[in-house]
Amino acid sequence: MMYKLDGRMLRIDLASRVPVYEQIANGLRAELVSGEFNPGEKLPTVRTLAIDLGVHHNTVAEAYRQLANEGWLELRRHHGAIVRDRDQPAAGSDTMERFKRPLHELIAKGLSDGLSPSSLARELIEIARRLERKTSP
Amino acid sequence: MTHQPISIVVVIAASIGGIAILNAVIFWLMPRLTRPDLYFAVTVPPGFRDGREATSILRRYRTELIFFSVLAMSVFLTGVAWFSVGFVSVGPIIQTVAGFIAFYRARRQTLPHAVPPTMIREAELHQHEKVIPGGWIAAGGPFLLLAACAAYLWTREAETPALFSGLWHVNGQLIELRGHTLPIYLITVFAILTSMSLVLYGLAHWVRPVHAGGREATRELKFRRTVSVIILVTEYYVTLEASWIMSITHHNGLIPVVTFPLTVVFVLVVLLVLGRLGQGGSRLLAAEDASSAVSVVPIGDRTPDCHWKLGVFYFNRDDSAVIVEKRFGLGYGLNFARPIAWGIVLLILMAPLIPILAHFTRFLPRAGA
Repeated sequence: MMYKLDGRMLRIDLASRVPVYEQIANGLRAELVSGEFNPGEKLPTVRTLAIDLGVHHNTVAEAYRQLANEGWLELRRHHGAIVRDRDQPAAGSDTMERFKRPLHELIAKGLSDGLSPSSLARELIEIARRLERKTSP
Repeated sequence: MTHQPISIVVVIAASIGGIAILNAVIFWLMPRLTRPDLYFAVTVPPGFRDGREATSILRRYRTELIFFSVLAMSVFLTGVAWFSVGFVSVGPIIQTVAGFIAFYRARRQTLPHAVPPTMIREAELHQHEKVIPGGWIAAGGPFLLLAACAAYLWTREAETPALFSGLWHVNGQLIELRGHTLPIYLITVFAILTSMSLVLYGLAHWVRPVHAGGREATRELKFRRTVSVIILVTEYYVTLEASWIMSITHHNGLIPVVTFPLTVVFVLVVLLVLGRLGQGGSRLLAAEDASSAVSVVPIGDRTPDCHWKLGVFYFNRDDSAVIVEKRFGLGYGLNFARPIAWGIVLLILMAPLIPILAHFTRFLPRAGA
């Protein structure tokens, strides 16, 4: 598993083919979507997170930049990364297409590891509902 | 005032002998004090340490240690018999060098059994727990003490020749005083304190935890806090000892008689405390953890073996951590790929270099006739 979803812990896999900065961004996004961070709260500094993960600080900086571009974070020099009160954007026509491929691969991996389609579907729905509950006002 | 140079030399020799014995004990025990997935600074499969091959490597290592310790002790006792301070000091040096050679040979024998460590990295996203007990108020204490000592000596400047016992030779002979000696002594102590404070700061901000959560993280934090306390206590010890030496009014050979054995006892206590915890708190594994502790993929210290040069020096440009757990030994070492690490090394080296450089620039006094 590339990133962990239970309560303010980030886990990455340096052996994964997914670039490290993307894993960090994915993990942080999951925490942000699930409402683990409130708007105005500070994330760990680039240096602190880089030290904790054992990666170069540029890698973490890239992840933070990506999330800032998506509207999740505000990057202030000497103040670190601050969580923004982000408006939910409307899904574009190609948004689902972008998610289909990685979802297809993930589900295929689950099926090849012996999980049943129904259990996978159940888990996916449960996770989506849990995140929706946390983010809805 | 009577001087007893022979008893002073005996105390110094006994202290050096004590250090040599401590050295031997540390090297003997070290392979069992490291993290369970690390053996002679090599990442090994879980359970390897208790296997036949590992036992054989350990037996060979300890046999070499015994041989070199006997050799070192012979040199040391020869020095004592001949009343030669040089020979006495060479004994522990031989033992330390030989200990590292034995370690390096054991490491080479372990390398064929190496496995890649886990590539999983964890980080907690909430605020880190405080590491320095007492915060920066406690950390600033030694500097305030040193400043107070300097102020006290400055107000008693006229009496400085009698006050500054560091100017007395070990046999009680007064060394000629030069005006620059006291500031150089103070600067040296200041450099020592600064380097230790930098390490203390590094332990709070520049260390990567091996585990980010769970019981392992709690044990690790306990180990890191213990090391921080030890560094803090050492700073106070160094400052108080230096202040006492600078302030003592009558010198009768008391200084080495007190400081040498006290230092040996201090080192012994530190080793006992850290040895009980094990590297990274690994020996604090509770009974209920033991059954679930064996993982399929070794965790080690989550650093790749290839970045450990000679198993002792860590060099990894892709790792932002400045301070990492030692692989062979108790405590922490430096990531020499980070420039700050070299700054720390420079500061540590400055402390003994300052008086040496000052001596060569004729600031320090020489022994009187």
